[in-house]
Amino acid sequence: MRDLVFLAYLAAIFAMGFRRPFLFVLAYAYIDIVSPQRLSYYLLNSIPISLIAFMLAAGGWLLTDDKTNIRLSVRQVVILLLLAYCGWTTAHADFPLEAATKWSWVWKALIFAVFLPLTLRTRLRIEALSLTMVLCASSIIITGGIKTLLSGGGYGTLNLMVTDNAGLYEGSIISTVAICIIPLILYLSNHGTIFPPDWRTRTFGWGLCFACLLIPIGTEARTGLVCAAILAGMALMRAKRRFLYGALMAFGVIAAIPFLPASFTERMGTISSHQGDESASTRVEVWKWTWDYVKDHPQGGGFDNYLQNKLRYMTTRTVGEGSSVRVERIQVEDHGRAFHSSYFEMLGEQGFVGLSLWLLLNLLTLIRTEGLRRRYRGRVEPHLAWVSPYALAMQQGHIVYLIGSLFVGIAFQPFIFMLIALQIAASSYVGRMEKDANWSPLSRRPALQPASA
Amino acid sequence: MIDNFALLLSHGLVLLTCWRLLSRDDLDREPDPAEEAARTEATPPEGIPGPGGWGRRG
Repeated sequence: MRDLVFLAYLAAIFAMGFRRPFLFVLAYAYIDIVSPQRLSYYLLNSIPISLIAFMLAAGGWLLTDDKTNIRLSVRQVVILLLLAYCGWTTAHADFPLEAATKWSWVWKALIFAVFLPLTLRTRLRIEALSLTMVLCASSIIITGGIKTLLSGGGYGTLNLMVTDNAGLYEGSIISTVAICIIPLILYLSNHGTIFPPDWRTRTFGWGLCFACLLIPIGTEARTGLVCAAILAGMALMRAKRRFLYGALMAFGVIAAIPFLPASFTERMGTISSHQGDESASTRVEVWKWTWDYVKDHPQGGGFDNYLQNKLRYMTTRTVGEGSSVRVERIQVEDHGRAFHSSYFEMLGEQGFVGLSLWLLLNLLTLIRTEGLRRRYRGRVEPHLAWVSPYALAMQQGHIVYLIGSLFVGIAFQPFIFMLIALQIAASSYVGRMEKDANWSPLSRRPALQPASA
Repeated sequence: MIDNFALLLSHGLVLLTCWRLLSRDDLDREPDPAEEAARTEATPPEGIPGPGGWGRRG
């Protein structure tokens, strides 16, 4: 039954796409984020819906879209270079089969990230993709939020509709992404034109933000808590009454502690004392192993090369009860542990070249988005007023992602590459507007006014 | 039950987004900034706050 509903749903979106081909792009984003094939049982698994959507999106763009003034930005070129380098490391990978499996989705994510800005030519398209991404992620976040409220969740036990723990459905990844999109949700509920801001939009927006904050609690992913703290700090920096809001936030956190599950507070307590926690100790050891590995293999070992690591380290545990409690040091042996950090994931898999390209991409994204935010701050013209708040929302989300990436291996997460593509599109959009209309944002002249006037 | 509610709500809103986009001319073609500014001055959109408020400049 669910299969038929999903099939009818996709058919409806595709049918609308034949009237407005840009909707094929949204359909591909939907399929990539929600993965309806994994939510259904048989029917959708037997149809290559992702491939069909991409072919339709690319075909629609090639045949019908306006392509004047089209050019690749520096960041798109960096993504293409990264793609080529990943292809080379895959061909020389330590684990060819495993590397080929990861490559099979990484190249699609990177190609789509290069393709997206070419299609996002209008302000409405940028908003439409942003909204679709938020709504698609909300299908996981709403279910996780409600289950956390009802049951408290638990590390590795919160059921997010699918059990294979991959993509956005993985606890740490959805925790980071959920916090990362909060600024975008607030932007859309305050500045959206598809769903103009009214009580319904704002109620949904605030409700979704609340659900996003519940995800780190439900999944007990410590990364999410760190991300939420960073986002709160950035929000306070921009707030006019920062002391009042800061005090309210602190009060809210203190008031919420008694309602948090005991397992959550215990797990969060290990953030500052990682030596007593096997998961955190493993990360440190994997990072040491990665550094040693790239000293011998600076070109990287290809995707999933962490499978060869063998770790041996000391950790502590508390034994006994009451007055006989004592702390013991124990030796742990482990192997094939994942990187648990996007930075080390890039370093180990793609070596110094891959890490440099990835860092350059993220750095350029931060710099360009900050540039947009500053240049268009305070603009009130309808076609410009959205630029600065949008850039701020994207920038805050990206900083949250970069902080979360310290502890989660999401260097190639397709959702994040779509967010980067949106930021590239916003820069390109403004660049085209400047060129087309010959206006200068610095001079603050009305649009289309000649420079000599 | 919860899963179905979340799927229904999110998917319904994605579908509504697509439906609303069908009737928007500015999806495929950016309106001329001068035209848009003139239209906004004539009929300011209600309740859409810009950073400093829409249409403040003359």
